[in-house]
Amino acid sequence: MKERTIFTVIILSLVLITVGYLVATQVDFSWLLPAQASSRAVLVDRLFRVMMGIAAVIFLIVEGALVYAVLRFRRKPGDDREGLPVHGNNTLEIVWTLIPAVIVAVIGIYSYRVLTDVERKPSDPLVVRVIGQQFAWSFEYPDSGVKSSVLHLPVDHPVQFQIESRDVIHSFWVPAFRVKHDATPGQIDELVLTPTEIGTFPVRCAELCGVGHAAMTTEVKVESQEDFQAWIDSGGTLVSSATTAAGSGTDNSAATASAPELLVQFGCGACHSLSAASLAGIVGPALDGIGTWGADRVEGQDAQTYIRNSIVEPNAYVEKGYAPGVMPQDFSTRISQEQLDVLVSYLASQ
Amino acid sequence: MSIEVSMHEDEFKAGRALGLDHRKLGVWLFLSSEIMFFGGLLAAFLHYKINNPSPAEHALLDVTLVGINTFILLVSSFTVVLGLDAIQHGNRRRLVLFLGLTMLLGAGFLAGQGNEFVTLYRHGMTLKSSVYGSSFFTLTGFHGLHVLIGILWAGLTLRKAAIGRYDDGRYTGVELFGLYWHFVDIVWIVLFTLIYLT
Amino acid sequence: MTVEAQIAQEKPNWRRYFTWNTDHKVIGVQYMVTTFFFFLIGGALAMLIRSELAQPGTDILNGVQYNRFLTNHGSVMIFLWIIPIWAGMGNYFIPLMIGARDMAFPKLNALSFWLIPPAGLIMLASFFVGAAESGWTAYVPLSVAAPFGQTLWAVSVILLGTSSIMGSINFVTTVLTMRAEGMGFWDLPLFVWSMLATALMVLVATPMLTAGLVLIAMDRLVGTLFFNVPAGGDPIFWQNVFWFYSHPAVYIMILPGMGIISEIFPVFSRKPIFGYKAIAFSSLAISILGLTVWAHHMFASGMNPALRVPYMITSMIIAVPTGVKIFSWLGTIWDGKLSFTTPMLFALGFISMFLIGGITGIFLASIPVDLHVHDSYFVVAHLHFVLFGGAVSAVYAGLYYWYPKVTGRMYNEKLGKTHFWLNFLGTNLTYLPMFVAGLLGMPRRVVDYAPEFASYNMLATIGAFLLGISTLPFLYNAIVSWVRGPKAGSNPWRALTLEWQTSSPPPEHNFEDTPVMTRWPYDYGESPLAEPGVAPAAGD
Repeated sequence: MKERTIFTVIILSLVLITVGYLVATQVDFSWLLPAQASSRAVLVDRLFRVMMGIAAVIFLIVEGALVYAVLRFRRKPGDDREGLPVHGNNTLEIVWTLIPAVIVAVIGIYSYRVLTDVERKPSDPLVVRVIGQQFAWSFEYPDSGVKSSVLHLPVDHPVQFQIESRDVIHSFWVPAFRVKHDATPGQIDELVLTPTEIGTFPVRCAELCGVGHAAMTTEVKVESQEDFQAWIDSGGTLVSSATTAAGSGTDNSAATASAPELLVQFGCGACHSLSAASLAGIVGPALDGIGTWGADRVEGQDAQTYIRNSIVEPNAYVEKGYAPGVMPQDFSTRISQEQLDVLVSYLASQ
Repeated sequence: MSIEVSMHEDEFKAGRALGLDHRKLGVWLFLSSEIMFFGGLLAAFLHYKINNPSPAEHALLDVTLVGINTFILLVSSFTVVLGLDAIQHGNRRRLVLFLGLTMLLGAGFLAGQGNEFVTLYRHGMTLKSSVYGSSFFTLTGFHGLHVLIGILWAGLTLRKAAIGRYDDGRYTGVELFGLYWHFVDIVWIVLFTLIYLT
Repeated sequence: MTVEAQIAQEKPNWRRYFTWNTDHKVIGVQYMVTTFFFFLIGGALAMLIRSELAQPGTDILNGVQYNRFLTNHGSVMIFLWIIPIWAGMGNYFIPLMIGARDMAFPKLNALSFWLIPPAGLIMLASFFVGAAESGWTAYVPLSVAAPFGQTLWAVSVILLGTSSIMGSINFVTTVLTMRAEGMGFWDLPLFVWSMLATALMVLVATPMLTAGLVLIAMDRLVGTLFFNVPAGGDPIFWQNVFWFYSHPAVYIMILPGMGIISEIFPVFSRKPIFGYKAIAFSSLAISILGLTVWAHHMFASGMNPALRVPYMITSMIIAVPTGVKIFSWLGTIWDGKLSFTTPMLFALGFISMFLIGGITGIFLASIPVDLHVHDSYFVVAHLHFVLFGGAVSAVYAGLYYWYPKVTGRMYNEKLGKTHFWLNFLGTNLTYLPMFVAGLLGMPRRVVDYAPEFASYNMLATIGAFLLGISTLPFLYNAIVSWVRGPKAGSNPWRALTLEWQTSSPPPEHNFEDTPVMTRWPYDYGESPLAEPGVAPAAGD
């Protein structure tokens, strides 16, 4: 090989390796990734960066060669000659087979180590049951008996999720934690992680589960140990002051949430529409005007009673054109009396 | 107007250089896809047999009857071999005889299978009684369907033999049928072993 | 009058394309036009999807319609467009490239094609009875409880799979038994090699999908319990059966395209293909390895955790033969005399866009990363870069490259270039933002999304409309040039493969005299304006 070629190759390799290194270590990828809220997220993000560094190098090599070739080897008008009769180059072919093999081996081994790291079984985790159903998530804390539609977790404490589904396959995804796991009917799957940032992060369903798939979202609130314990002790009814609407300025952390907040908390918008509360679900009956038409539905039931029964016993009366068994049957165990009263009086005023 | 041009034999010189007859190769490739199809149904059967066994239903299976049935199918493969041997020696009538026997034995196999199915249904094991029932009947049912198609193919081959289309120099059609029939037989041996003998 | 004389006299007319005809060239055109029609339908569904997703909120479509459109968009594109278009091109060109008069089984060939229009109609008819709405992946139990259209969908896919299997039986038999004299396996054009490797996967993997679809159909129609969870049915079993086919399916969707790229680069660089044997072997390697990676679609499914790792390994290893191809193509154009005709532009665009798809595939193969981006828009972006930026670019490259051979006329180069640039721009604009949306947390298959994803979706929708517009110059070009374009000679590209050594279009029996191979198909770079068949040259 010509000396000049070797020289060029060495220089280019050094440049590329430097670029790769810089991409992997210096570039700010935070605009590309959600909040980093778990110990898993830290490790996964690091792996992601390294892969981006390698990807940048490969991209530059191939696209660079492509662009260079397109510019340099264009056939000049009038030049009808053939190109060089080169059929291959054994050295080159071996190199470009082995180097990618080494690269994927490195990525594979690194990935394997991250995997075993993040899936290591913790001692004494908080156990939380994650239940997916069309079209809402619910969470149960076996130790305390608390049930909730919003996931609360104490920061820096390992949690073991036990994930299941009541109907079809859903997928429990918390982007800020960098992990998802399918909720499959007929089995209970475990997922472990440790949240490391206090805050509120979205929880989304990531497996097509029917008409309400896009609306099957909720939140995970990572809190200090004290706040979490207070929430548990309140039976899961506490709404932290950070989320009460129109801050009243007082430390109202023991107050029951407002109706619009409850509608969000329990995922009513996944299936119902209600203009006043900006809900737009289409799976179930529209709730606009229910304060009026609710009185005409069942003999002897005024609107308030009808609304209350519709929440706690959805199958007792099903609106024409809709099917029984779609609305979750267990709201009576998940919504407290106070919360139910708030909801009923709000809806009766619609 | 569509013009159909017959393929001349020397189109396939490259195949003959490799020792391949294109029609037999085609049938082998077809059979390989069939193996994968049965593989899928068999995987379902085994998956559920292991993870969701129905010992009560499994006990209903009549190994003796179906064992005899299996033997009948094996004999029917033998009659195909005998028929092929006959035409390779130019004996058209014996080919017709053996093809007819094959059809009879195949029908006998189907009758036996039908008997087994009806008996199982009477005892409450059905397509819908359990996952085991679903996979058992689906797997053996599709095999039975393949036997039925084989009997029809045998009939067509028999007819061709009867009108003199085969002789000691031309018998590829019989070989092709034979390939299919033996395949159906081998599939059954595997099925019988995994369903009835385990 | 003898049949031969009749053939010589008959002037072919357009009506034969609507009849049962066993000529592989007629069947090839039937495939290509029919599948392109379904491509436009799949594209229209995509336009509706992107219109809905332009802004947050469910404005144009409701959740039910959206799920049906996305399901049928994927299903139409995969089963009625990209898989059968390769069968169509293979049909037209394999016999020509190997010097044969037709395929080994002409009647079976016609049957393979004629399964497609009814299957397509059945799938589209499902919209009238409640279309399939569980994604093209039809996960159970959702798909078992779905409306009647799901059954029609299953029937349609079974028919299309059958067509695919029949085609592959034909391709393998034809290549093995009908090559011209002197054409050994190391003299086969790489398009033929890629079709062989593809046929292998079709024969092994497609029947598994058929079996799975039979199980779903039986659950739906007869009440079997395969996927009835309370009775012990297992949803994960469906995933295994489905992906056993559907992963190789993606290689079925790309390998023939890669074969076409291998044909195009030598012609428009005037150089031999670089690393012929390596490319041929890499096709086989991808085919075989491709049968071992399917569970990388199931890392989040609750499958046995220990079994995930082998699949990560095999999925990463597949990058190596893929890389061999890309580097070999670069080696082909390096130091060549490049002409930037439309097919060459699409081939170059292919490398550029497939690279992005391929690199992001490595991200997906890494289990920890996948557990974050699985079932998100990252995957949507990845799959469209490989399938649209990759496979569809290769389809266009092949259509332009072979246009003069099939029609006897030359397409308009300016329109072709316009099409290319609109397509290249549109593809990147549509799918690059989706990587970001996925990483940030946007799931797949959602009719609505959180406002934080709005800007990425708007960009993607604009790009999608560009793509929609980009098909217009192509359609105009294809149709008008066929009627009025300048007549093309037998070999406008001065190419060496056998299809160019006969008239455009070829006569009924493809070649006037039985072809004998005297020149290696990639023997460019020997002497200027070399005439094929003149000087025997040393192949590699």
